[in-house]
Amino acid sequence: MANKVAIIASNGGLFDAYKVFNIATAAAATDSQVAIFFTFEGLNLIHKQAYEQLPMPAGKEHFQEGFKAANVPSIPDLVSMAQELGVKIIACQMTMDVMNLQKEDFIDGIDVGGAVTFLDFAQDANVTLTF
Amino acid sequence: MNSDKILDAKGLACPMPIVRTKKSIAELESGQVLEVHATDKGAKNDLAAWAKSTGNELLSHAEENGVYKFWIKKA
Repeated sequence: MANKVAIIASNGGLFDAYKVFNIATAAAATDSQVAIFFTFEGLNLIHKQAYEQLPMPAGKEHFQEGFKAANVPSIPDLVSMAQELGVKIIACQMTMDVMNLQKEDFIDGIDVGGAVTFLDFAQDANVTLTF
Repeated sequence: MNSDKILDAKGLACPMPIVRTKKSIAELESGQVLEVHATDKGAKNDLAAWAKSTGNELLSHAEENGVYKFWIKKA
């Protein structure tokens, strides 16, 4: 049976996005079944507008050049690659209600669910990560 | 070493060499050999780990002028 990797994304900066999507795409490309639960600020990482201009941590803006030099893919590119590889994206319903966000505010191809939706997947996951 | 397909992943950063390797190997038949060229220094360990995890066989690897080359036989 394939490995299962369960990831919680709860922060909304550019660095957070790379941590989440690099691990997720690498795992999916290594034949793992991957699901990511996006909650609180983590929702930024799949928000149609927000995910195109995620902030760098304060004082770290100079890394912008490093990202270019290292030829790191953009977050929207990484997200579509993750989806193409079958990574399941779950947006937290409760956070969406609190922030008054609708499913249409997010990229296509996501699921909306509660904590138990994620826990059900994570129940027998071999790897569980939180970012 | 002979190969059935060459993947040029030079200049790509992690996790792209792995993603491209997965896509390329999917296009091969069992027993065929994929040759991967990468410049990402992390690729050396990553491709070995990838082969181990996916059950494909890393036949050989080499480094030439900063380019890492891998020969992977599809399971």
